[in-house]
Amino acid sequence: MDGFTCNLKPFRQAKGLTQGQLADLVGVRRETIMRLEKAQYNPSLKLAVDISRAVGAPIEEIFIFE
Amino acid sequence: MKMKKNTDAKHPRWLLPALGGACVLLTGAAAWYDLTYNGGKLVYPMHSYAFETTDIPMLLAVALDVLYVLYLAFLLIRGIRAQEERTIKTNRTRRLNPKLGFLGFLGFLGFAGFWSYGALGDMTPFVFFAFFGFFGFFFEGKMSNTLMDERYRENVVRAELKAHRVGFSIIILLLILAGQHSRFKVELIAPILITGIALTVALTMFLSEYLLYRYDHDDAAALAEEDE
Repeated sequence: MDGFTCNLKPFRQAKGLTQGQLADLVGVRRETIMRLEKAQYNPSLKLAVDISRAVGAPIEEIFIFE
Repeated sequence: MKMKKNTDAKHPRWLLPALGGACVLLTGAAAWYDLTYNGGKLVYPMHSYAFETTDIPMLLAVALDVLYVLYLAFLLIRGIRAQEERTIKTNRTRRLNPKLGFLGFLGFLGFAGFWSYGALGDMTPFVFFAFFGFFGFFFEGKMSNTLMDERYRENVVRAELKAHRVGFSIIILLLILAGQHSRFKVELIAPILITGIALTVALTMFLSEYLLYRYDHDDAAALAEEDE
């Protein structure tokens, strides 16, 4: 996706979460987390906030829109 | 004393087919009785009707058939409502066996329209071509019981939008084509339109499910990495 970088993977790994565990925490499928980490899916604001809270990192550091 | 309420009472699997078989047998026996002892009064087409006691077996058999069909309809509606409630409650897609896709073969019933239109002038069977859309159950079944997260819902909208766009385009082309009076006889326009629209409905139903499956699994292989 143009102009979109996702730094979710390092934050998730630092928190010790698998993709499946994070998916369960934020109420989406694991495939959605996989696509997010590859910056192939642009999440809604709610999902972005939920992920930010789940991994304990600021939203603007996880999702970077150029 | 607590009483456990049985809200999910199910009848044995053999009961419905057995009831159907009994209905067929009773109707057959009633038809035989009517042909043998009643002059086939209720078997052959009639113009006027006056009740006689010898009509009772056939009337009872038909009444049982109607009750059986109504019971089947009741079970179907109850099943659909239960699925809908479960979908809302669990936020998952409905459970569906992919083998239901074989119902798509019912679409071949549409070919009966060529006979009925020629012999009786009845175009109704052409509508059955729409049953080809049931082939989409193959793909819906593959996505049975899937969590409907936001990406899934986005894909549903994308797939339906594209399928409907294709469907509307075909219908517009069909209407333009059918409007060419110089090329087609007027009496052919109605069956052409009914057949074309039924097939387009089938295509739209199928495409919605197929595209949704594709969007959801497009690069699944590329994404199949370890859950680290």
